[in-house]
Amino acid sequence: MSFIFNFPDVGEGIHEGRVVEWLVSEGATVAEDEALVKVETDKAVVELPSPRAGVVLKLHVAADTAIEVGDPLVTIGAAGEAVPETAVPAPKVEEDRVAVPVEGLAPTPAQGTRRPLATPRTRVLARKLGVDLQDVRGSGSGGRITDEDVERAASGETSQAPQHSPPAASPAAPPTGRGEVTADGEVERVPLSHLRKVIASAMHTSKQTAAHVTHVDEADVTDLVAHYRKAKPAIEDQAGVKFSLLPFFIKAVVAALQRHPQFNASVDEHAQEMVLKKYYNIGIAVDTSEGLIVPVIKNADRKDMVTLASEVADVASRARSRELRLDELKGGTCTVTNIGPLGGVFATPIINVPELAIVGLHKIMDRPAVVDGDIVPRKQMYLSVSFDHRYVDGADGARFMTDLVGLVSNPGLLMARL
Amino acid sequence: MVVGSVSRGCQVVVIGAGPGGYVAAIRAAQLGKDVIVVEKTPRLGGVCLNVGCIPSKAMIHVADLADEVQNGQKMGLTTEGVQVDLPKTVKWKDGIVRRLTGGVKFLCEKNGVEIVHGEAAFVSDRSLTVATEEGPLEIQFEQAIIATGSRPMGLSGFEHDGHTVIGSTEALSLQAVPQRMVVIGAGYIGLELGSVYAKLGSKVSVVEFLPELVPSLDREVAKALEKRLKQLDIDLYLNHRAERFEGGEPGDVVAQGPDGEIRLPADVVLMSVGRVPNSENLGLDTIGVATDAKGFITVNDRMQTSVAGIYAVGDVVGGALLAHKAYQEAKVAADVIAGEPAAFDSMGIPAVIYTDPEVAWVGLSESEAREQGFDVVTGTFPFSASGRAMSLGATDGFVKAVGDAETKRLLGVVAVGRGVSEFIGEATLGLEMGAFLEDVALTIHPHPTMSEALQEAAEAALGQAVHMLNT
Repeated sequence: MSFIFNFPDVGEGIHEGRVVEWLVSEGATVAEDEALVKVETDKAVVELPSPRAGVVLKLHVAADTAIEVGDPLVTIGAAGEAVPETAVPAPKVEEDRVAVPVEGLAPTPAQGTRRPLATPRTRVLARKLGVDLQDVRGSGSGGRITDEDVERAASGETSQAPQHSPPAASPAAPPTGRGEVTADGEVERVPLSHLRKVIASAMHTSKQTAAHVTHVDEADVTDLVAHYRKAKPAIEDQAGVKFSLLPFFIKAVVAALQRHPQFNASVDEHAQEMVLKKYYNIGIAVDTSEGLIVPVIKNADRKDMVTLASEVADVASRARSRELRLDELKGGTCTVTNIGPLGGVFATPIINVPELAIVGLHKIMDRPAVVDGDIVPRKQMYLSVSFDHRYVDGADGARFMTDLVGLVSNPGLLMARL
Repeated sequence: MVVGSVSRGCQVVVIGAGPGGYVAAIRAAQLGKDVIVVEKTPRLGGVCLNVGCIPSKAMIHVADLADEVQNGQKMGLTTEGVQVDLPKTVKWKDGIVRRLTGGVKFLCEKNGVEIVHGEAAFVSDRSLTVATEEGPLEIQFEQAIIATGSRPMGLSGFEHDGHTVIGSTEALSLQAVPQRMVVIGAGYIGLELGSVYAKLGSKVSVVEFLPELVPSLDREVAKALEKRLKQLDIDLYLNHRAERFEGGEPGDVVAQGPDGEIRLPADVVLMSVGRVPNSENLGLDTIGVATDAKGFITVNDRMQTSVAGIYAVGDVVGGALLAHKAYQEAKVAADVIAGEPAAFDSMGIPAVIYTDPEVAWVGLSESEAREQGFDVVTGTFPFSASGRAMSLGATDGFVKAVGDAETKRLLGVVAVGRGVSEFIGEATLGLEMGAFLEDVALTIHPHPTMSEALQEAAEAALGQAVHMLNT
């Protein structure tokens, strides 16, 4: 008895994805829970495990095609079941229209065979761009192939062809646009990536729903930096990765959140209740070549600095290679965005809904400061917290920030609150 | 170079000025090519305009009109003795043909297509000669499009004489309604013309070698058609092999059936046993253009033959021998020559039989869909439930929509009934646009029309028909 494994609903409202790479081939024997395929969803590349043991009889979709929840991915037969020669009976070719053996030319397709769903206009476009519609997954109603799908397929091919990069797990090449000359001048049109569309939608939702307000304060992190420099060699030795200041800030943010629970919360709009989270899952905004990705460090309050350092390095690197698992992107309670290294005085980030707050870490600079009546150079930075003013008051924002500034300005206090 | 001949050059030469040829010529000219079209007969338009589609429809209309008027008593219409003046009918029909063929000539000329009359034969893959009235003309070309069409097939034992044993051409120009007509072959031509003469008063018999009408037709459709043919008092001899015609006053058609030999007296024998391609005498062998066992030229989806630069379109390449298929192929060939990325990739070629009732279909039939492995769902709406059909006194027939049960994608439509030819184009558009049954069901159709039945059939396939009970 063969079984068709459909693209499952992996949660978080994800309805579509893209097959990145098949990890099994037709005829292969798979164990239950063995990874079958890598599928790119909204923000992660997910490996889907086989729901049962058996033999892979048929892969229903090719790599690099879009899929929707419920689409058949693979047919798995019982162990020992023979792989059918062909799944679809060969189309009957009318005697009168047998293909001509003209070199380099496609034979006449038999009338009425299962053909891709595309309008005549789209079919012309496909021929113009040299795209075989059999290889294109339609994004339109009922799987119709749209002009855009064809254009995407055409540009995908041209950007991949010269690169010889392995298709899986490597950062995709920047999308190649097509040139166009408008009345105002030359432009390049680059199709939006799936990730970009997801980011756009999330940002828009956040800005439309949350009442954003940003509170900024300045912190003197001279002592923290000195402390960090002292600890760095030892921690790097233990963690085996480059140790940045970020774990200190994560710890400081967690400590502040523990005192100000409304910043580690979301709102159940339906029940009209504030949901205060008793766990501290800190989202870390990672800048990748394809766009913003926010992996989540789970239970950051319960992890030591060494663990945090290696986890941050790990998720950041896997975010860039799109190898994160979906569950590593879920369940954040508050997000930290470290814009400082990229420059700027301060910024006003957008809240990662349904969270209520996002903390911005800005550039650490040597600045003149007055200490005990003397002007001395100090390492100073701006810290921001952007929060949803519908549920969190400005005074709370000020209190949260004062606490956070105190923690990062005084490593002794931070140690005491860990 | 033929000694003493005149030589001409052009970019594209088109052989044959039927629906394939004149469309290819006009399209190629529109795309900036210097085009010559060579036509063997004095008139443009080919079989379709001269002795096929158009004149037969004119005759069918007259026969339908006569039949309807005579059978209008139920509707309160009383007439006394409808007279059919066949010579006048034929003259009227000839006028239509003249107007249309003249129109084709006008379009060719206005598009800058040069017309040469005479028989063409290839000399090389870049030149051909035309035997014109003024003598041989040699034409050098860059590309050639062969659109020489097809002609009725003969049958041994039935010698075509043009007045007793006739083909479809003569059947469109008879000067008197024969008392007894025997039609050999129950294909669409035989049934259309047989119905015409039955309505005009002939006693018509149809002899068919195969066990069914129009092989490959949906069986339910064939049944509906058969019922009406019987009402017209047409005798059907299926499973009968026509052996010979024995002359006399009248002569007899002798046929062999399952119960032995039968003899059918006939004043006129109409031969309609199939068509063969006009691919001989073109010098195809000289230049190496490949043909299949039946003589049809083999082409790919870009209408290219086995010889570079030589294209072929229409009946001569086989498949459905239909003018609209030729039109499409002609445009593909001209576009390919002009460097466009064209290909013949239609989702379906609609077909119509102008019998009474009309039969029209496109896409996959129910059985074809099953053969291709689809889980098939169908919806049928009978015209007996259609207000429009009742008001026309034409409640015979139905529309059947064929869909994929899994995805609900529309796979095909078959219709039998009055005027169904007029809306099979809608079903074809649906197939080309990748319509789902819901798309058709959710499209408002004008009421009251015969076309509403298509919407109802799609609804029925979804179990949502309103104007009949869903099964």
